[in-house]
Amino acid sequence: MFAGKLGRLLTFLVGLGTVLAACVPQAAPTPPGPGQITNPPTTPEMVDAIDLTGKNIEVVYWHNRPQRDQELIQAMLDEFNRTNPYGIRARAEIAGASYNDVYNKINAAIQAGQPPDIAVAYQNQAAFYRAQGAVIDLTPFIQSKKYGLSEADLKDYFPVFLESDANPQFKGERLGFPTQRSVEVMYYNADWLRQLGYTEPPRDWKPWEEVACRASDPANKKYGWAFRHDASNFASMVFARGGRILSPDGSAYVFNSQAGVETLAMIQRMFKNRCAVEIPTSERFGEQNRFGNGEVLFVFASSSGLPFYREAVEKGSKFAWDISLLPYTEKPAINLYGASVSVFKTTPERELAAWLVIKFLGERPQTVKWAVNTGYLPVRQSAKDEVIAAFERNPQWGPVARSYARIFDWLQYAMVESPVAGYDPVRTIIDQEVMSRVINDPNVDVKKLLDNAVAKANEILRENAPRSGR
Amino acid sequence: MGRCREYLFGYALLAPALILLAVFEFFPLFYGLYISLCSWRLGCAEFIGAENYVRAFRDPQMWQALLTTATYSLMSVPVQLGLGLFFAYLLFQKVRGRELFRLVFFLPYVTSTVASAAVWSYLYNPDRGLINTVLGILGLPQPRWLAEPTGVFALIARGFGAELPAWAQGPSLALVAVFVYTTWVFVGYDITVFLAGLGNIPSELYDAARVDGASGWALFRHITVPLLSPTTFFLSIITVIGTFKAFNHIYVMTMGGPGTATTTASIYIFRQLYEFNRYGYSAALSFILFSAILVLTILQNRFAGRRVIYG
Repeated sequence: MFAGKLGRLLTFLVGLGTVLAACVPQAAPTPPGPGQITNPPTTPEMVDAIDLTGKNIEVVYWHNRPQRDQELIQAMLDEFNRTNPYGIRARAEIAGASYNDVYNKINAAIQAGQPPDIAVAYQNQAAFYRAQGAVIDLTPFIQSKKYGLSEADLKDYFPVFLESDANPQFKGERLGFPTQRSVEVMYYNADWLRQLGYTEPPRDWKPWEEVACRASDPANKKYGWAFRHDASNFASMVFARGGRILSPDGSAYVFNSQAGVETLAMIQRMFKNRCAVEIPTSERFGEQNRFGNGEVLFVFASSSGLPFYREAVEKGSKFAWDISLLPYTEKPAINLYGASVSVFKTTPERELAAWLVIKFLGERPQTVKWAVNTGYLPVRQSAKDEVIAAFERNPQWGPVARSYARIFDWLQYAMVESPVAGYDPVRTIIDQEVMSRVINDPNVDVKKLLDNAVAKANEILRENAPRSGR
Repeated sequence: MGRCREYLFGYALLAPALILLAVFEFFPLFYGLYISLCSWRLGCAEFIGAENYVRAFRDPQMWQALLTTATYSLMSVPVQLGLGLFFAYLLFQKVRGRELFRLVFFLPYVTSTVASAAVWSYLYNPDRGLINTVLGILGLPQPRWLAEPTGVFALIARGFGAELPAWAQGPSLALVAVFVYTTWVFVGYDITVFLAGLGNIPSELYDAARVDGASGWALFRHITVPLLSPTTFFLSIITVIGTFKAFNHIYVMTMGGPGTATTTASIYIFRQLYEFNRYGYSAALSFILFSAILVLTILQNRFAGRRVIYG
């Protein structure tokens, strides 16, 4: 009896509460207080709630560029330091001469608990740092109403550049943000090619190999193609044959496909027939210097090397040269390069300050300045014409300025090698246990080599897979 | 009481050195051992006991790296010591300009390893290097030096149209090229230490032997070699340890390549650490290398140490 009355009373009270609640005007969501901001912030609201007033944070940026680019970066950062309203002071530091140097240094710094605030990192390197909980997802910062990017800004970025930073191994987390990009292109000596009877490089692999062999004259140290100890060379050739390095879902390495076998067989054949020359690892920038001296017809390398190739030709044999897509079988493919910038886990305030530095470096004036001075691609579509115009105005670029402009059309064919943690050792395996073997052994079974390498690569993939709870 | 105070005073005097040893020697050593027993990322993610060691003993590449290291050591130690003694003996004689020769021999040792290794890499460059340019002018074959993974015996046999089985091919030409560089660097150091050892041999012994009719070779064989044995013993231990730990110049010259032809134990450990980010595993490999060096040193001490004549 009593229970029945109590039940009815409770029902009445719940109903009344519901009605009253519906009548009360909806309050705006309260922004999280300082104690509710997690490290790293996981929502745009948390980022909005960070107050940088009076914090005067110092941000350290590690990169791998030479001294002249360090000066350019620091000049841009000086401008940021002068104009940002939060008193943030950003400082660039050269952390090595290559991405690998920076990667090694950062891994040691992570172990020592002293990473920089931001650093250049390839997607796979960022994934490795993330697996250790050392870098943060930038999505909340990008989406922040107060500190993030507007819709117009986001649309201005080349979509393929933004997409390349969404990491499949970490549910699409953005472990870096693009401030530059480049692609693998084929540099060729146009004068030499003309002497061989071609106005442009062959489109297919077979005739390309034939031209390289016709150009080669080992007695006079002239070769059709410069072989670099760089797994990205292999990856680019596999892409251009319709293959992949990693499966689309990132679950397994697949470079032992037919495309891989054909690529490797071709390299093996070219060395057997002395149509290619190996650039020893000890010969830094050997491919550029040899190209500049007119000793090699074709080189596959990053478009970011354009200013260096220009310099090498000017100092060398002063011939007409150009860049093009790599030869391909069915449809073109292009290897998308260029590390992004990652933010390391420190405090929410420092992370935000670091993001604001990256955001600044990605703005139109900065991306134009960077591209014009380095040969990298600007990250914003609105910057494209200005950069191309600057190159066209510069007589030193000659016809290469027009080729640079064509790279933007090639971006539709862009492919990313492998954004998963542990790709660096796989690159070593590809170089040391696959490519180095075929250039030295004309009889080695390429399929077997690739199968062994893929088995090892997949073991590394498993070893570096994110662990639960991270 | 007085005795106790004396002990305390003694340990107080020793304390700075003990603290330095503890902080910079023993702590890293034991911490390294701890890392080797873990699956390590930012910290010990999981204590796995001897798993890293078991894995290392099953790793054929680890054995290959140790074999390459041993080969490199076997080539380097006798040649370095032999040449060191030979030149030291020559420079110990009253020859004109011997100070200059001593300086010239010692210079490579005090030159920056990275710089000199980089210069040698260029000398060895197959297409553009000075060595092959000279060989080309002389009409001789131009080997690929640091880029050649084939064994030297196999290359020689090929010159005569013969093929050797894998086991008889010998060390790769790349490793031999690195060994030549190492010899160039370290012979100067050996010469200096041998010269010091030669200076310690009392001249009366030579005089007495000459009076007894001993010739130059007999003097060398029966006085110099035995009385120089402490120096030779010291240098052999240092050189074995040095060759087993060799890293800098190999990394600069070949980075362990071509393929794995010059991947010595130190290079392999470096790769496992920096490229594969296997912290625990590379720590275990370091302890295996440390144990190998320790065993070799004990064996050297036990067998060669007996033959050393101290005065």
